[in-house]
Amino acid sequence: MSLAIETIDLVKTYKHRGGASNTVVDNLNLQVESGEIFGFLGPNGAGKTTTIKMLLGIIGQTSGVANVLGREAGDIEIHKRISYLPEKPYYYEYMSGLELVIFYASLFGIRDNDRCKELLRRVNLANDMNRPLSTYSKGMQQRVGLAQSLINNPELLFLDEPTGGLDPIAHIEIRDLILQFREEGKTVFISSHELSDVERICDRVAIINKGQLVAQGRLTDLLAGGRVEVTAEGVSDAVSDSLRHENRIVSFKDGRLILDAPDSDDLNGMIDALRNGGAQVVSVIPRRKRLEDLFIEAVAEDDTAKGRQRGRMTDGNSDGTKSAEVEEVKTGEGDPS
Amino acid sequence: MNAVLSIARTTLGEAIRRRVLLVILLIALLLLVIAPGMNGLTARQSQTVLLSLILGVLQLSSAVIAIVLTVYMIPNEVERRTIYTILSKPVLRWQFLLGKYLGAVSALGLMIMLMTGTMIAVFAAFQGPNVETLASLARVAMMYFVQMCLLAAVAIFFSTFVQPVVNFFLSGGVYLVGTVFGSLFATIAESQQLPQLVRLAAQLVMLIVPNFGQYNVQNSVINSGAQIVGEGIYYTNLAVYGIVYISILLLGAMLIFDRREV
Ligand SMILES: Nc1ncnc2c1ncn2[C@@H]1O[C@H](COP(=O)(O)OP(=O)(O)O)[C@@H](O)[C@H]1O
Ligand SMILES: [Mg+2]
Repeated sequence: MSLAIETIDLVKTYKHRGGASNTVVDNLNLQVESGEIFGFLGPNGAGKTTTIKMLLGIIGQTSGVANVLGREAGDIEIHKRISYLPEKPYYYEYMSGLELVIFYASLFGIRDNDRCKELLRRVNLANDMNRPLSTYSKGMQQRVGLAQSLINNPELLFLDEPTGGLDPIAHIEIRDLILQFREEGKTVFISSHELSDVERICDRVAIINKGQLVAQGRLTDLLAGGRVEVTAEGVSDAVSDSLRHENRIVSFKDGRLILDAPDSDDLNGMIDALRNGGAQVVSVIPRRKRLEDLFIEAVAEDDTAKGRQRGRMTDGNSDGTKSAEVEEVKTGEGDPS
Repeated sequence: MNAVLSIARTTLGEAIRRRVLLVILLIALLLLVIAPGMNGLTARQSQTVLLSLILGVLQLSSAVIAIVLTVYMIPNEVERRTIYTILSKPVLRWQFLLGKYLGAVSALGLMIMLMTGTMIAVFAAFQGPNVETLASLARVAMMYFVQMCLLAAVAIFFSTFVQPVVNFFLSGGVYLVGTVFGSLFATIAESQQLPQLVRLAAQLVMLIVPNFGQYNVQNSVINSGAQIVGEGIYYTNLAVYGIVYISILLLGAMLIFDRREV
């Protein structure tokens, strides 16, 4: 396993006039493996963009380590192997899409207009590449941004809120392109506060809130613990009783049974029991934990933990809640499932 | 170097499309064209008046364009986040700054060329194509261009650490001190009546502020009697002074910009 990105106790503190300071990224420890799509999630103002800027070396860290592709962040040699799509980007509007990509190519010393055109075709801008960018829709601007970010065939892409403010169709287009990047073995680091797309494309995620990591791990592990709902009709009292279990919620009336069980439960066994007892299985609905739930849980728990901390400043054990939580996530991460 | 030139070209492309600049340019061109309309003087007087008028228009509009062009250049890049995509490529900050400066200077050159061309055409149309005068007009315009390159360097230097509006007045102030108020400061610095401290302060200002005034070589054209002694050497010295000063300012700007959070 090689790490594409690693941060160790990364901190960014902004000092304001008058001595006040604001810690925007707080002891952040991230590990992003090569070849994965990594979701970097958090509400607005959580410190996502700031972290990305530190990883690119555009701003310096206050303390801690930020390594990208095995070197210190900001190393100009690394910049040849990575690319970056900023959040809500703006490009020189007078240029056409093609001119823009040619411009960014020239920053690498690449003079290959055919390659630039090829990239624009790849993001479905074949027919619009000669129009000025001022006439592009948001989705088209984002796609030209992706074309631009592919010019150096990067090993690692940083995409800051790549689907922010896009309509659902543009969302899907961008998502499909990102999925292609993984096919090509690229590592993709996506920040987002919109969870629905990330949920479908990311291998692993980290959730930050107020600059602190609240969860990091494999999506399948973080989302484990969903439930499944089985509905059957013509169920006899005996069969219904046999299915009762402390982990299951059973509702039974007039032969109609609704069984709500953890998804780790023996689903086949339950269905066999129902069918052998002459019942008719009407539906089986998985109720997987959604990333939204996890996100809200993580952020809310973190906030209440902080609230408790503040309330218990004096009892000397204020950190307990939060570190236990991160620990839980970490153990989940190593678990193949 | 590749990157520097690409950034310069892009900056030029953007600058020549900026509406504010085009408006200033248009006003300047209009003034140049209507300048000969102010007649009613004797032929000899009218030539003198016309020359000072059109050269004045050229210089003032070039200065305004130089300042307006440069004060927003870096702040705009940060605000629109275009700077982040550029700096995330293998581009060093000094390359970015140099590219921006070269782009600004090319845009300035282009605009000054356009105004000078108009000025020369207007002058030739009304005063007859006197080759010698036309050539010296072009020479004066050249010196204005060097002056404006220096002014742009001042503005880009300030833009690495002050806000655009402040910079506008700061650079404008430096330009005024270096040109029209230059002689005032020189008088203060020399005056025996004034306290030592005031004289020292005036000397310090003269030492720091670039000597823009020396590029105002229009008098040799306006008053055809006033000749510059050793013209060739004088112009060469002006060019060298400009290049050295610009280099110092850009180096300073690069050092500041390299440490700045963007
Ligand atoms: N240059 C800066 N100076 C002071 N505070 C800043 C600066 N840049 C960002 N911040 C603050 O840092 C916090 C995190 O910002 P950001 O990283 O942009 O969040 P996100 O991308 O997760 O929405 C915000 O509260 C923001 O106000
Ligand atoms: Mg952000």
